[in-house]
Amino acid sequence: MKKIWTLLIMLMIFISISSLAIADEVEEDNDDEEEFGEENEGENETEDLDIDNKTVEEIKIMNNSLGAEIRLLQLQKAIVKNLLKGEMAVEVLKGLGYNTTTLEAILSEMKNLLEEVKAVNTSSNDSVQIFVEFKSQAKNLTKQFRETIKEILDGEKLREIRERIREMISEELENYSKMIRNKIKQFNRNQLYKLYGIIGEVNNSFVEKYLNGNVSLAQVKLQISKTINQMNKEKKYEIFSEIKKGNIKKKIHAQASMDDMKNKGKGKGNGKGK
Amino acid sequence: MNKKIISIFFLLIILLSITLIYNFYDKVGTDEKQYDSSIETIDENNVSEEIDDTFIEEDEEIEIGEMV
Repeated sequence: MKKIWTLLIMLMIFISISSLAIADEVEEDNDDEEEFGEENEGENETEDLDIDNKTVEEIKIMNNSLGAEIRLLQLQKAIVKNLLKGEMAVEVLKGLGYNTTTLEAILSEMKNLLEEVKAVNTSSNDSVQIFVEFKSQAKNLTKQFRETIKEILDGEKLREIRERIREMISEELENYSKMIRNKIKQFNRNQLYKLYGIIGEVNNSFVEKYLNGNVSLAQVKLQISKTINQMNKEKKYEIFSEIKKGNIKKKIHAQASMDDMKNKGKGKGNGKGK
Repeated sequence: MNKKIISIFFLLIILLSITLIYNFYDKVGTDEKQYDSSIETIDENNVSEEIDDTFIEEDEEIEIGEMV
């Protein structure tokens, strides 16, 4: 009888250990998944520190020349806007009798940068890298100007100048806005045709209406969403997967460009000091 | 005496097998459930998000900071 009990207890221990081993294995799997998630989160944080997310978003469309053209035009517009504001501020300061040599030197650098941005070949393979570099330079020059003017003027006078600049209207900026809007419309038209290609039906009159401004982009998006949502589950899933695949490809392309720049050591310093 | 030991031994072996099989199928079932739910969760918002990602807003601007 003693033997039976010993055997029974031994087997009970054996079963308990096996159950624990299985439970531990499952837990380890979960831990691994969690760790992997945390690692990825950590990586994203590091990415955020080196390259701002907005720039990564911006370069997502630069895998074709039209996308690159749009981003470079938008950068030109941003530089022109700051140049005009800077020139206005310098004029005001001159009127008040301040020395503006440093500020004018920064504006001169900004003008040179604008010319360089204008000269970029949008079909070039390096357009993404050039865009990131020039955007970074523009940000640095803006920061330099802002900090220099802060040293010259007190808070109240700065507020005064800020108010005057805010009311600024420029024909040059208006022209940029029109040009960019037209390019974006062309880009969105191409995207719309791509989506129609995935869905398997084309609505030419709707595209025309969008290009003529009779239908807004929000309405275009809504119409496409409705068309997809009305489909049966399988078809909806198929189309959704195709669209998602395209968007993921763009993200991978953007990330690859960023990684490439980092490897070359040129991506560093974006949004930071020179 | 020996017969009793063997019976208990087999009983416990069966118990152990049931525990292992249950654990295995339970895990497979959970994995399948997770996979199925990923397909089921495509709703109108998911579609809208992907469509939003496809287009560019017409008034979108690049920010390089303020001069003053």
